[in-house]
Amino acid sequence: MKRKSSLIAQQMSSQRRNMALLTVISLALGAAIVSQAALLAEAVQRIFVEKASLTSLIMLLSLLLAVMAARTLLSYGNGKVGLQMAATAKINMRAAVLQSLTHASMPSTLRGQTGGKVSIALDAVDEADSYFSLYMPRMMEAAIIPILILVVTFVLHANTGFIMLFTAPFIPIFMILVGLKTKNKSEEKYAELAQFSGTFLDSLQGLVTLKIFGRAERQQKEIERSSLSYRDATMGILKLAFTNTFMLESIVMLSIGIVALELAIQLLVFKSMTFHIAFLVLLLVPEFYSQLKNMGTAFHSGRTSMGAIRKVEQMLAETGGKSNNLNGKQDVDIEVGASSNSSNEMEQVDKSLKAHAVLLPMPPSIELDHVRFQYAPDSFELEAGSISLGAGEQIAIVGKSGSGKTTLLHLIAGLLKPASGNVRVNGIPLSQYDEPAWFKQVSYITQHPYIFAGTFAENISIGAERNVSRDEIEQAAKDAGLGELVAQLEQGLDTFVGEGGRGLSGGEKQRLALARAFLKRPAIILFDEPTVGLDLHTERVLQHSIAELAKTATMITVAHRLYTIQHADHILFMDNGVLVDSGRHDELLERLPQYAEMVDVQRKGGGD
Amino acid sequence: MNELAVLSKAMFQERKDIVLSILGGFIAGIAGVILFSTSGYLISQTVFAPPLYTLIVLTSLVKLLGLLRAASRYGERLYSHRATFSILSRLRTSFFAKLIPITPGIFNKHRSGDLLARIVGDVESLQHYFLRVAYPPIIVVMVFLATILFTSAFSFWIACLFVLGMIATVLVVPGIVLLGQRKIHGRVREQRALLSTEVTEVLYGFRDLKVYGQLAQREQQLQQASALLANEQQRAAAHLLRGQSMHAFVTFLISWAVLALGAYLIIDGALAGVFLAMLVMAALTVFEEATAMATLPAYKQDSEHAANRLTETVPAFDVQTSQPSGRMPVAHAASIELSGVTFQYEGEWRPALRDLSLHISPGSNTAIVGPSGSGKSTIIDLLLQLRTPTAGDIRFNDVSVKELDETSIWSSANVVLQQSHFFRGTIRDNLLLNGEEHADEQLMDVLDKVQLSNKSLTDMVYEKGENLSDGEKQRLALARAMLRKGRLWLLDEPTSSLDYVTEQHVLKHLYAQAANDTLLLICHRLTGLEEMDQILVMDQGKVVETGSYSELMKKKGYFYEMKKIEQQMIGEDGL
Repeated sequence: MKRKSSLIAQQMSSQRRNMALLTVISLALGAAIVSQAALLAEAVQRIFVEKASLTSLIMLLSLLLAVMAARTLLSYGNGKVGLQMAATAKINMRAAVLQSLTHASMPSTLRGQTGGKVSIALDAVDEADSYFSLYMPRMMEAAIIPILILVVTFVLHANTGFIMLFTAPFIPIFMILVGLKTKNKSEEKYAELAQFSGTFLDSLQGLVTLKIFGRAERQQKEIERSSLSYRDATMGILKLAFTNTFMLESIVMLSIGIVALELAIQLLVFKSMTFHIAFLVLLLVPEFYSQLKNMGTAFHSGRTSMGAIRKVEQMLAETGGKSNNLNGKQDVDIEVGASSNSSNEMEQVDKSLKAHAVLLPMPPSIELDHVRFQYAPDSFELEAGSISLGAGEQIAIVGKSGSGKTTLLHLIAGLLKPASGNVRVNGIPLSQYDEPAWFKQVSYITQHPYIFAGTFAENISIGAERNVSRDEIEQAAKDAGLGELVAQLEQGLDTFVGEGGRGLSGGEKQRLALARAFLKRPAIILFDEPTVGLDLHTERVLQHSIAELAKTATMITVAHRLYTIQHADHILFMDNGVLVDSGRHDELLERLPQYAEMVDVQRKGGGD
Repeated sequence: MNELAVLSKAMFQERKDIVLSILGGFIAGIAGVILFSTSGYLISQTVFAPPLYTLIVLTSLVKLLGLLRAASRYGERLYSHRATFSILSRLRTSFFAKLIPITPGIFNKHRSGDLLARIVGDVESLQHYFLRVAYPPIIVVMVFLATILFTSAFSFWIACLFVLGMIATVLVVPGIVLLGQRKIHGRVREQRALLSTEVTEVLYGFRDLKVYGQLAQREQQLQQASALLANEQQRAAAHLLRGQSMHAFVTFLISWAVLALGAYLIIDGALAGVFLAMLVMAALTVFEEATAMATLPAYKQDSEHAANRLTETVPAFDVQTSQPSGRMPVAHAASIELSGVTFQYEGEWRPALRDLSLHISPGSNTAIVGPSGSGKSTIIDLLLQLRTPTAGDIRFNDVSVKELDETSIWSSANVVLQQSHFFRGTIRDNLLLNGEEHADEQLMDVLDKVQLSNKSLTDMVYEKGENLSDGEKQRLALARAMLRKGRLWLLDEPTSSLDYVTEQHVLKHLYAQAANDTLLLICHRLTGLEEMDQILVMDQGKVVETGSYSELMKKKGYFYEMKKIEQQMIGEDGL
């Protein structure tokens, strides 16, 4: 719960200067509003009642114009400060979101929902804008200006002041009532609206099916019908909201009317008042009510923003809580803007802990020492006993889908940190190595390699830390069986691929990932073997390139091909999260019936 | 405003509500002006100490006007929102109708799945056009004109000032704002799209970027892009704020000028002093009614942008040339012939199909196999006329598809696409998409055949079949196809999510029903192909091998190699 309001509170505390500025400007704005009314009343008084000459008015009129200009400028200034606050807040909040995304732990990124995360980084943060740019300045104005006007009115004419004082509370009360009544319903409606436009989207997405089944025309009528029935349902809610606004406006009108009547009676019956004061009061009263009404609208936009900010907080709390990486360091600190002492200390402790063991010799030996891992409490648990894998060995992880093969691979890679136990590299726990130095030795070839928007050459050289020559890149491409494809392209290695560039097939992406590894020449290769058959060319390239790369590396493969496990030095057999046994193919065939069954059954299924 | 033509049409159809809301807005506006100017007049009158009853009459009038104003505002809101929702519904239906003939063709150009989401969003933002852009200026101008008429009874010159004010607030200020806005908003959108793609890219490539030690650098890039975006947004908002301030200042300036000119005229004797307060109040109020003009440019920009994008993606499709009259016979199994067919997706750099020729005789079973991306599914799209080949000809029963009515092809084909679509409704609704009549026993029988007998016909299916597993969706799609009477089966990986045993069971029933029909099956696995009359092996948009299972195995070519790799596959369920 502590986090709930903390994001806004942090933003606010880092913006104290702007808040002070808002206060000062709002005060000045209030003064300008009052003096504008006073000058206007004064001018009318002089012209109309005192019949003053034009020259005697020049001073007054220019002063009035100056006040009007000042009022405009002050209003503008308040808006500017609000925008400045919003921009700073958005940059800070987005920075926190981006940081949490880039420093997130593997499990949280693997959990997917990429679209949702992108939407938080963009939409939710943008929605937070109006809290700072509208809500804060308006609230500040509404907190200061009406009181100022009220005080002035009391001084001028206490009766009007009392009328205002008694009627004013009705406005926020009504606003809140309107808000409460319509809020629940409109939120319901809003959800329905989302669902409704979802149905429209649904129909569009299913258009091919609808066409083939000859139902498109019918669906069109359906859209019309549901749109209209939605309209009628919404109008019901809106009517309620409009009725409430009607009441609200009536109250304002009534109040102004009462003030006017009272003024008139004072003027005519009791003759206790001058025209000048009466006119001034009449000018001030609408300003008073319109400020209060502004507060209502600002309040509404503030609420929506708040919802968005809560979403951001939620995401930060979720990813932040679980973020851990190789060094077990809590990387994501939600402290935005202001850096907290505790995180600095932690970092220092961390740095001192990192004795940065030197990664030698290469390729390394790897030991698993009672490793346990869980993504979340009550979820799937991985358990691997003690096993040592020799330097330069070829290791295959085998098991049914969902048995924890990829999780084990990630643990060995240091992409996940065990909950207990250790992964030792050359006898030293992995957590004692410097993370970048470790990853410099690792290549990870996934089933769906990541191709970023850039040229072929840039995509290949992402793997190499050092500056690589063009020849090396070309050679790597050739080694990975991309030579022919590159030769076909007009711009060769300078052709753009990835988002917005040339589309590559699954096999070509696989080969590009291989080219990266060829360039990097890693000491540890992690390989997630494709589960689907790729084109024959890629299959052949994969088989022989991997063998080539494995000569100088310790290689760990999540294996899906019999060929791979037959050639592995060490097979780790996973079942339901547990590392059941390890050994060579023939050993496991002999002593592990489940293993024999898996290999056998699958072969039969495939060869039937 | 060519882009907004659709909108104008939809608006025209709602003219009654529109007229009513304009009327309501006008009455509310003018009542406000009268209300405040009357109170100004009222206060001024007190100087001359009139009898009390005139005063009571006047204050009652003021209150009445206040109520009238609130009531007509209520009416305005009600009718304008009603009109807005009706317009939205019309827009949806008209865009849907426009999309029918061009789907899935538009995906050639825009392959991203969020194109549709964008269309939905754009249509939705168009609804604001009426509410925020189209009708507020009408009301503002009407109120102004009435006020001008009213003031001209008192002073010609003051009326002139109001004319000036109207021109400034309705035309000049919004114009100035719009002028600068276009460029800034373009930049904001660009920057936002950039950040969005970059964030998405980082999330998708997270693992690789981490291993390649690129995350820190990427984060920095993202932070920079984010700061840039915030700055651009701030500039855009500041621009709008300047417009609003300009509007406010014009309001003050005109009221001031009314005061100054009034003073001059009064001293000159051309205007009675008692009207001064009234005119000043009128000036202040009439501009307050015009505040909607200050936010108009932002909405105008948005709806124009949305309209532009919509016309770009959904080109005005004049009722497409009437379909050719040729009909595909439903009662006979058809033959299929492709000769020299090439197809290239727009924006792709190599064709999906290259000079493809093949023949499928009537009543035969054909399987197409090959790695993903080899062009298998494209063949079915072309056969269904969902896309048009870049070159070459497709013939059913020796009749070119160009001479066939596309609906006759659809009604004679039993199709299961790779991604079958399901709609919100019951299982029965989703089975009877084609609107044919089937007895419940028949439906249950088919469900039984696809091993879905655990489902009842009244079970709900959520949007996109979200409450069904992939395997259930595939079986439901198969059941849907099996209820049709066509003699041409086009099946694109219909059993990829089923386990081996279920797959064999389902296919057994399917083959039995399709025994004498022409059947084209795209396969992801190389099992159960022994029964096929013909197997086409595809790679990179070409057929690299053809033959029966035993022929291909004997040949020891591409198919044989693929089969060998598949036999090597272990460890994944369903393989």
